[in-house]
Amino acid sequence: MRNPIRRIPALLCILALFLGACSGGDTDASDTEEGIDNSAEGISIGAIPDQAPEKLQRLYGAVSEYLTAELGVPVDYVPVTDYTAAVGLFKVGDLDMVWFGGLTGVQARLQVEGSQAILQRDIDENFHSVFIANTASGLTPVDDVEGLSALKGKRFTFGSESSTSGRLMPQYFLGQAGVRQADFQGEPGFSGSHDKTAELVQAGSFEAGVLNEQVWKARQDAGQVDDSKVIEIFRTPAYHDYHWIARPDLIERDGGEFVERVKEAFTNLDPADPDQKEILDLFGANGFIETENDNYAEIEQIGRELGLIS
Amino acid sequence: MSASADLLELETAPPATTTNQQGPTGTNNPRRVWALVVLVAVVVSAYSLGIGRGDLVNQGGWSMVRNFFAGALSPELNPDFLRITWDATLTTLAYASLGTALSVFIGLVFGVVVSQTWWGVGRRDGYGRGLIKRAGWLTSRGALGLPRGVHEVVWGLFLVNVLGLDPLVGVLAIGIPFGAVTAKVFSELIDETPKHAYDGLRSSGVGRVKAFAYALAPQAFPDLLSYSFYRFECAIRAAAILGIIGAGGLGYQLSISFSSLRYNEMWTLIYALILVSGLADLWSTTLRRPDRSRFLVSNEQVPGLRRDRFLNLSMLAFGVLAAVSAWHLQLDPATLWSQRARTLLAGIRDASFPLNLTVEQLSTLGRLALQTLAMSIVAIAAASALAVATAFVAARSQGGGEDPGPVRRLGSLGARALLLFCRAVPPPVWALLLLFVLFSGPLPGALALGVYNYGILGRLMAEVVENLDPRPVYALRAQGTGGVKAFFYGVLPLSLPRFGGYALYRWEVTMREVVVVGLVAAGGLGRLLQEQLSSFNYPGVVATLLTLVGLTIFADLVGSSIRRAIG
Repeated sequence: MRNPIRRIPALLCILALFLGACSGGDTDASDTEEGIDNSAEGISIGAIPDQAPEKLQRLYGAVSEYLTAELGVPVDYVPVTDYTAAVGLFKVGDLDMVWFGGLTGVQARLQVEGSQAILQRDIDENFHSVFIANTASGLTPVDDVEGLSALKGKRFTFGSESSTSGRLMPQYFLGQAGVRQADFQGEPGFSGSHDKTAELVQAGSFEAGVLNEQVWKARQDAGQVDDSKVIEIFRTPAYHDYHWIARPDLIERDGGEFVERVKEAFTNLDPADPDQKEILDLFGANGFIETENDNYAEIEQIGRELGLIS
Repeated sequence: MSASADLLELETAPPATTTNQQGPTGTNNPRRVWALVVLVAVVVSAYSLGIGRGDLVNQGGWSMVRNFFAGALSPELNPDFLRITWDATLTTLAYASLGTALSVFIGLVFGVVVSQTWWGVGRRDGYGRGLIKRAGWLTSRGALGLPRGVHEVVWGLFLVNVLGLDPLVGVLAIGIPFGAVTAKVFSELIDETPKHAYDGLRSSGVGRVKAFAYALAPQAFPDLLSYSFYRFECAIRAAAILGIIGAGGLGYQLSISFSSLRYNEMWTLIYALILVSGLADLWSTTLRRPDRSRFLVSNEQVPGLRRDRFLNLSMLAFGVLAAVSAWHLQLDPATLWSQRARTLLAGIRDASFPLNLTVEQLSTLGRLALQTLAMSIVAIAAASALAVATAFVAARSQGGGEDPGPVRRLGSLGARALLLFCRAVPPPVWALLLLFVLFSGPLPGALALGVYNYGILGRLMAEVVENLDPRPVYALRAQGTGGVKAFFYGVLPLSLPRFGGYALYRWEVTMREVVVVGLVAAGGLGRLLQEQLSSFNYPGVVATLLTLVGLTIFADLVGSSIRRAIG
């Protein structure tokens, strides 16, 4: 009987150790930011994980380095695992500025009153999705939206469920061609990212898929597309897509001067400078231009029609 | 009966008695009725998920699966990636150990508060029959049902919306639901502890808290401790799953490597997961081995009770692990009551109500609830069928009997490795792999849970086989009965009821886990929850969560009815 009693103090010691360690962490972490109002010097940026993680790391690593130098405050890139997490962390204020797609951008602005779309790439005001097909599927290029009805009965995959160019707009155009979700063989897949869609279609896991034009071009340029296995069959009409959105506290920082410097930093990106050219290349763009909330009204309307915005 | 069997059964119901192996024979035999119900349920569920109705297998995906398994032979070993893996392993361990520490703390506090002993109800001596006492016990006990019915991942997704990217999210997401389960088990352990000393102290005027501390706690302590280590083993699996939704650690790295289809990296991480969960399993099994069960009998005076070095060392090691973990994660509890957390919580509360459900939403919820039910049934049916077949191979000995011989030992090792692999890989990863060869929908999700539960059930069932009473087989063999016949008459009838008990226990757990595969678009209420979370439809989220809790309660009720019938 005596021994078990003696173990009680041991257990209490563990608890004390545990609590002690917690309060020790308290002082360590005191230099990180604490609340919405108390915005610290640095800013955190994020991006929807639309491409392979190592690409994102390379791109946003370069972006945060560039912004740190231009703005004179530490800029951190925080990677996230899915589209929803990017919106969620923007909402709670862990991310001050995020590179969103059309749909996630609308979702984010609906969650955070006063946030604004500030910048887009030159390609984003005229963005396209590309339908691709495995050559073994027998699918051939089609001329117009109606031609997409050839996809009926095929094994088909979208990208992420919250993707504008990998799901929302393609589903909208498929609807115009009279192709419903139930018309595919089995249920349509959701690969999670544009890169993965390309790989799954090339490997024949799915007969056809859809992804954003910029990722498709980047893969072609990088020699990752095997023409004997996968071909482009349709390029959609244009729509607005990706853009940077800033939280209201960032917009108001230094009386609005700070966000102007962010805009300048992006619009001044110069292809003649090798470091800045790398950033533009990774973005697949020639330059950045300003944008505004109203550009995404169409996306919002389609999102509501398809039930992706409530 | 092994100690671990006791502990697992306690999570859901009092251990079934094993004396009544024959069962009543009659036309209204409840066992037969339940067998029929289960059979029909399995067939209907399988059919509703599309089995036997064409177009399930995506033939184009086999090359991806082959590529994945080819990666097993060449895991990524470059120093940079090994460092990432090491760091991720520490993070997963840290979430698991701090989550366990928190759950044990919650378990100790609430376990006492919800025990019958504390409220003085459930006694035959007439002491404490008061209505108020009873109501107090029932209320406090019912209050634990809600945190228990919600899966760790759902807690994680909720807490991220309140606390943001903070390591506390991972710790709380494990600690809260595990704490509720632990409290339930602790309360039952306390109620089973002999009360003489406690009653003695109470009747001489000692207060409740003091009487607990001096008369009950020391007796119940070893049981509580060994259950805590079992929780740690579960927490490692939970931490890996939480990683996939972004909490960091091995699960997080695994999902990142998966999204670029880097199979070699995936295998490095999978080997790390296998190593960590294998060691945790070993640790917790060693602590719970039957020959240590002298701790489980505690009302008689045992003068020569030896100091248990292993137990003491384990406690010390766990304390160190928890302390290092808190440092590694840089925990800051102040985040919990920060202004931001309060504002965000209030925002969610305001956005969630009123619920205002339309008929259409209700019918969607109903349909998906049925689908979730079907998924859990198919998952457990598939897992149990495979596990029963594997258990006899995986068991190192059968009924403690003869020397197994080298072939059997090798077979047992192989089967154990397979089971460990199946339970070390988190279910969402299984679902993503299955989505290569199956069309998306509820079936790949159900099968992913099946594979994962096969790993867990196979191990539990192998333990049952190892701990069987060997005497029936000895008797049969002594009469000259052949090996095969002895197996069918001496081993199988003894193990099947316990197998059934475990299958039911896992079924109840799986009902909660269905949510996890839904997050990678593999069907059920989890899929709906994911959509509602991404469109910030909070009233919808609340309605879905309530449906999930309802399903969990339903599974608990059905499970305990069946257990009573086969007991």
